[in-house]
Amino acid sequence: MITLDRISKTFPGTDIPAVDRVSFQVNAGNICVFVGPSGCGKTTILRMINRLEEPSSGRITVNGQDIMSLDPAVLRRTIGYVIQQIGLLPHKTIEQNVSLVPELLNWPKSKIKARVTELLVLVGLDPGTVGRKYPHQLSGGQSQRVGVARAMAADPPIMLMDEPFGAVDPIVRIHLQDEFLRLQQHLKKTICFVTHDINEAVKMGDYLIILNMGRLIQMGTPLEVLTEPADDFVLNLLGDDRGVKILDLTRCETLMDRDRNFPYNPDSCLIQSVKPVKIALELMMKKNIDQVGVCKGERIVGVLTWNSIKEHISRVSRDRP
Amino acid sequence: MNFDLDIFMDALTQRAPQYLVEHLQLVVIPLSIAAFIALSAGIILTRPGFRHLADRVMVLFNAGQTIPPLAVIAIFFPFLGLGYGPAILALTIYALLPISRNTIAAVSAVPREVLDAARGMGMTSWQVLCRVELPLSVPTIMAGIRTSAVLTVSTAVLAALVGGKGMGAIIFAGINFFRPELVLAGTIYIGAMAVAMERVIAFVEWLISPAHLK
Ligand SMILES: Nc1ncnc2c1ncn2[C@@H]1O[C@H](COP(=O)(O)OP(=O)(O)O)[C@@H](O)[C@H]1O
Ligand SMILES: [Mg+2]
Repeated sequence: MITLDRISKTFPGTDIPAVDRVSFQVNAGNICVFVGPSGCGKTTILRMINRLEEPSSGRITVNGQDIMSLDPAVLRRTIGYVIQQIGLLPHKTIEQNVSLVPELLNWPKSKIKARVTELLVLVGLDPGTVGRKYPHQLSGGQSQRVGVARAMAADPPIMLMDEPFGAVDPIVRIHLQDEFLRLQQHLKKTICFVTHDINEAVKMGDYLIILNMGRLIQMGTPLEVLTEPADDFVLNLLGDDRGVKILDLTRCETLMDRDRNFPYNPDSCLIQSVKPVKIALELMMKKNIDQVGVCKGERIVGVLTWNSIKEHISRVSRDRP
Repeated sequence: MNFDLDIFMDALTQRAPQYLVEHLQLVVIPLSIAAFIALSAGIILTRPGFRHLADRVMVLFNAGQTIPPLAVIAIFFPFLGLGYGPAILALTIYALLPISRNTIAAVSAVPREVLDAARGMGMTSWQVLCRVELPLSVPTIMAGIRTSAVLTVSTAVLAALVGGKGMGAIIFAGINFFRPELVLAGTIYIGAMAVAMERVIAFVEWLISPAHLK
């Protein structure tokens, strides 16, 4: 668990704070996404958590310990860090780059070797061909994956990821996001994830923290933020397709009518209750119908209608007065 | 003044070679001392707390470079007298600048994000220096040492004027006695030594350069 308590940071030689009295908590096993426009202080917040920057005021604890009482180098070895500019060591091979933290922790050679191979496969790189290359021989996307592998190498319980998929093309990015979410289901790491892409934030986050000009504007689950944007800044950030995003995050069971009977026959349209409403909508449009049966396993538990979806969207996504 | 081939061959094969080792000492000793001082200074001046001093120290080293070596010897004459010691001192001061300038330039040129990543992974400052900053700086630092070496080979000729011996002895003898044969013989050795030093250092540089540049 990570907590920030009224953290401010003013860089020397500037008068406007880069981070201004920000407090929040990231619970163990969660992905907390920091989102906001460039220059809003996302990177600075991450870098204060592993003590690459010192806060001007406030207190940060990791698992209950004030980080100022810990040796910075030792602290950093327990926190995986994916830096925005990737920063692979140019004079080390990819294998050596990924081995960095395990080596600092004095893991035995054979264990490091096995771990490096495992990680390169995990991020979708071929250890045989890529492992012996130098960073300058890699594409931006490949380098970024190495950066992620390096941060995960010593299996740190906490990860700080600063725009980790920023340098890959959209198709690969979606693939890496999916892959990462799949991994996270069993890894259950505590992750601070920075992005300026609201779609990525909504997709990756258990929890969102929205920042603007160093201030924390809103925090909450993606659905909370989407349905109750705190102000016009957040509304703008969420984009024109806020309603569609909500449908992607709302489960069918949330909007279904439990009391209505659904005529069951072999051709009837059914969808699992945990699926997003967006999928039900797709089904309705494809089949040109205006209701689908919602089931849990084999059992029909309700009906989702076109009207209930429409009403829901118009209710939650109407512009604030 | 005519050129006597016999005297030239005698100088080239008999008289000059005896000064080679002396001259080599006049190069290697000041160069080693200068490399040690300049590297240390360069490293210290690129640490966060000292960066603001870098410019001022460089002005000092620059000044050292502009003082003629003979003037250095004259300045220290009251304390050190003439001979080998002052010659070594003057040559050392002379060799400092290229090495320290290149060290500072090289270490400062290590990309910020690389340092950030190294620190962020949990390297101590010492580890960052030894495993990242210095290895990446090797080519530029070695280029500085090469420049200094070549410079010192030729400047060390002047040591003979203050009793510091070396290849300068035969060259200045040639000048004093109007014997161009001696001057030419000495100069050939100086040139050869400069080229040889340059090649040897370039080889060492290649040996210790970071692998991705080979
Ligand atoms: N080392 C620094 N010195 C001075 N100002 C800085 C430094 N690092 C960041 N800043 C400033 O702090 C603000 C926040 O930067 P940053 O945290 O990098 O934003 P983000 O990651 O959200 O784009 C920016 O205005 C930036 O110019
Ligand atoms: Mg940033």
